[in-house]
Amino acid sequence: MKTIYKTVIGVIVMTIVGITAVACSSTKKGYTDVPDTATAAAEEEFKIEKSGAQMWGEACNRCHIAPSPADYNDTDWETISLHMRIRANLTENESKKIEEFLKSAN
Amino acid sequence: MKKLLVLLIAVVFGGQMYGQTYNTFEPSKTQFMLRGYGHTGFEYMDSGDETESTFLGAAFAPIFLYKHSDRLMFEAELEFVLEGNELETGLEYADVMYVLNKNMIARAGKFLLPFGTFMERLHPAWINRLPNTPLGYGHDGIAPSSGIGVELRGAFDLGGPTLNYSVYATNGPRLKDGSEEPEEAGMLLFQNYEDNNLGKAYGGRLGLLPFSDSSIELGFSAYTTANTGQEDSEYEDVGAFLFALDFSLVKQISGLGGIVDVKAQYNNSNVDTATYFELEDGVEEEYSFDNQSNSFYGQLSYRPTMASSDFVKKLEFVGRYSDFNAPEGAEWEEKSVQYAFGLNYWLSWRSVVKLSYQTTETEGGHDGDGLTNTDGLFVHWAIGF
Repeated sequence: MKTIYKTVIGVIVMTIVGITAVACSSTKKGYTDVPDTATAAAEEEFKIEKSGAQMWGEACNRCHIAPSPADYNDTDWETISLHMRIRANLTENESKKIEEFLKSAN
Repeated sequence: MKKLLVLLIAVVFGGQMYGQTYNTFEPSKTQFMLRGYGHTGFEYMDSGDETESTFLGAAFAPIFLYKHSDRLMFEAELEFVLEGNELETGLEYADVMYVLNKNMIARAGKFLLPFGTFMERLHPAWINRLPNTPLGYGHDGIAPSSGIGVELRGAFDLGGPTLNYSVYATNGPRLKDGSEEPEEAGMLLFQNYEDNNLGKAYGGRLGLLPFSDSSIELGFSAYTTANTGQEDSEYEDVGAFLFALDFSLVKQISGLGGIVDVKAQYNNSNVDTATYFELEDGVEEEYSFDNQSNSFYGQLSYRPTMASSDFVKKLEFVGRYSDFNAPEGAEWEEKSVQYAFGLNYWLSWRSVVKLSYQTTETEGGHDGDGLTNTDGLFVHWAIGF
């Protein structure tokens, strides 16, 4: 058991260090920064990004039926979005886009 | 008198004018929400020798959310349940959360443990498709549901697939050494509010959603501690290692005319072998056993969301298999298998009426050494708010 324990501790420590390094080294603000070059602009043109409505259907339904946007106001959706980002381990992009969709559709 | 009237008018109308001038009705920077869920129902149980039927007292679980800023939040859930002619109360979780960056969030306090997905994401009555938990969860279960400690969690967008993670340190479980409940010697008690030793439990979960439509999630969780027994007791260095594998598939399939939801989780618990004591005819005898337990559940549900009838659209068909194996040689040795079937009617996205039949075959367990078959019929009504 001691060996397993030490191995798991080691893996966890390495995971934390690795994730921290990756998370903190990323300075990108999000998903809108595109270099001002012709190639990047062309790539962006062909990039297919999921809409907030699509993410709302996919992410919420993984655990429960997707909520009706009309059930809460904008302020409430901000609180719920942050809570669900943490509880369901959503990415920042998913959380933001779903929140924007819910606020636009309520 | 005139002066008094003028003064009153000035106060009344002046206050209103001031309010209209300066109250912009903008939302406050801090936000507080009361959410939660409740459920009630009826149960009929038949275990051969014994039959019982009862209306269930309503359970009420308020959730408090306080958003201090876009990064800082507090969450807490209380639980009130009428059980055994008493009102039982509990604190499911209470923790502070802080968004460190786009890929990392810190939590501290009592939080639901990401050991698999069932207890963290799926157990609330308005989310769980059946009226009760699968075998291996809840009271005397082997899967930890919550812990007190600190956690880092987050998710990465991999350009289609996504990866989520969590790592945590908690007080860890407490080993039941049999001094208080001899029939439960060797079991782990996860409600370890004040640590009984210096050792902590460490664990985490990695989840991968390999497809861009997020329809499938695969997860691996581990949880380990080197100390579970009381400090300075002979059980202090009894360690434990638990792991879980989970699977989820949620997808709308046009050919089937609806949404298919598959969930599965396997839990394995391995506690170091130790020597316990039992009373046989007034004489104390030593015994030990290979302390390994496991449980599994697989659940399939289907909602015909593409049906033309509004009534049929709101139906859901559920089937679940679960099993639980407790260690051979333990006083709580048990092998159980359960099949559950359900028909749900969704009144709204967060309110469901569940009709369920389940049959459980148990060999051993707390109730004796023999084989017990229990059939149950459940009608539950759950609502989230």
